[in-house]
Amino acid sequence: MLAVKAEHLSKTYAGEGAPVTVFSDLSFELEEGVLTAIMGPSGVGKSTLLHLLGGIDHPDTGRVEVFGQALEELAPRERARFRNDRIGFVFQFHHLLPEFTAEENVAFPHRIAGVPAGQARRRAAELLDRVGLSERRAHRPRALSGGEQQRVAIARALARGPGLLLADEPTGNLDVDSAGAVFGLLEELHRERGMTTILVTHNPELASRCDTIYAMSREGISPAAGSSGRE
Amino acid sequence: MSYEVFVALRYLATSRKRAHVALISTISVLGLAVGVAALIISLALLSGFQDRIRAQMALRSPHLVVFPARGDRLADAGAVREILARAPGVIAADPVVEGRGWLCDATGRAVSPARYRNVAEGPLRLSGDGIPPARLSGAAAARLGVEKGSLVRILSSRTRLSPVGPIPVAVLLRVAEIRRGSALEKPPDVEVPEEIARLLAGIPAGAQAYEARLADPQKADAAARSVAAALPAGYRVRTWRELNAPLSFALRLEKAVIFATVALVIVVAALNVVSNIALLVVEKKRDLGVLLSLGALPGSLAKIYLTLGGLIGGIGTALGVVFGVGASVLLDRLHVVPLPADVYLFSHVPFAVHPREVVLIAVFALATAVGAAVLPARAAARIAPGEAIRLSR
Repeated sequence: MLAVKAEHLSKTYAGEGAPVTVFSDLSFELEEGVLTAIMGPSGVGKSTLLHLLGGIDHPDTGRVEVFGQALEELAPRERARFRNDRIGFVFQFHHLLPEFTAEENVAFPHRIAGVPAGQARRRAAELLDRVGLSERRAHRPRALSGGEQQRVAIARALARGPGLLLADEPTGNLDVDSAGAVFGLLEELHRERGMTTILVTHNPELASRCDTIYAMSREGISPAAGSSGRE
Repeated sequence: MSYEVFVALRYLATSRKRAHVALISTISVLGLAVGVAALIISLALLSGFQDRIRAQMALRSPHLVVFPARGDRLADAGAVREILARAPGVIAADPVVEGRGWLCDATGRAVSPARYRNVAEGPLRLSGDGIPPARLSGAAAARLGVEKGSLVRILSSRTRLSPVGPIPVAVLLRVAEIRRGSALEKPPDVEVPEEIARLLAGIPAGAQAYEARLADPQKADAAARSVAAALPAGYRVRTWRELNAPLSFALRLEKAVIFATVALVIVVAALNVVSNIALLVVEKKRDLGVLLSLGALPGSLAKIYLTLGGLIGGIGTALGVVFGVGASVLLDRLHVVPLPADVYLFSHVPFAVHPREVVLIAVFALATAVGAAVLPARAAARIAPGEAIRLSR
């Protein structure tokens, strides 16, 4: 079954001068349970594609289906619920909320879903334990290293047990060792949970550890040479 | 606790660590506190005076009056007296006998039109010479140039037949008291014993109206309803509040105007709340985008900022209430602002805090603060998550 199906997507941003077309008529499909890397030069719209697939942005044209559900057909409330339940995001700069502890950050998806505070914190503590940060759960992001922050961000993305994990350069801001460790954790969790994972990376070595690699350019997106991905 | 309230509380608690936000938050809170305190003190000052005016009103006016619906006499004064006597809280019921005539001094040179009635309050002491006593209003005494102990003559507009033809009914009176009226009342020019009033008015029995005094004037409305229900058709019952309705309206209007004017301070303070919340929305735009990516609803983001407005409003209001009520109570108890007792009815500026008014002010301040947060909260709800995250990279 397809985890993601994007058809004829186009996206243009209103720039300071003329509008900037990020991509047009882009189509992309991915089977469930696959760990995929998307590679490509800066500015070709990799992050924008992740945002469209995750439903936090709207395509100008085209259609996105996640697990058979067309995102555009969902009402805003249903769409938010779908995002909360089925999709996890990891951003390059972790984007943890600085006023809240690691545990509180990880508990947010549960709190948003209406899980009582105590239960949400217990589940968050379990996840932090799983990513090796049980000792750091009362620390605020500022008190954590880059690698730890990203691990907290991964725990937060996985809080609701999503079927689709979208990671936008999760190691892009880390040193080589931390990047390896964070990628290893992502890989482990991907296998353990049977998720579909799409990650954007500029690191060919990390990408080579994925099941498939897609190359993205101004012309569109296609499986990289030697990759087994489907276009 | 919902996560929206949780986030709002944390934002407020951590804002003091960011100097610019802390400064604006402090100004917002203090602005509201000053506005609330100013409003409480202003209304307490006004209430202090108005309570005393109302107390005078209740003291100097009959608490209930029964009038004939038509004509100038009660159809059955005895029945009215019985019903008033049985009414709850009535401690005294007296007939009203009044009319118009002329008042002149003993020489007959100074003459003035006068309204007379039977004694409304307190007995008049008879002088030793058997001349009936009279209580003159200060104005009437001044017009005639008489003082306590002087003789005056009252002539009724009613006439009686004499050997020389019809002549006005006249009675010689001795001034037993001169009543110093206040701006709150319009006393008759002369008050006389009931039998003299009946003689002058030509009403040997019955009454033109009946007045009653109550143990608790505040229960006048209930007593009036009870009396009106017991009376047959042909009577009207009015309370002391209705009799003083124009003055009561003026007092209420004065309070409303003061409230509206001083409340502007709160409105101005609320503008600080707008800028405070707007600053927080801009500062937290990326975090709001992240919350949306986690599945938060736009309405929840608005709720966070409305809660923040409510928290700022709540703290400011609480501080203002504590300061305003405390200052008013101290100003009243310590007699901080003296008044010349020979000019005013009281020796110091009175302050009276009415809990209902404090609640009204608190609700107004809180609602204004939350209302001020609506605009930035709506802006927060309109944030596009993708854009907020993309632009923060």
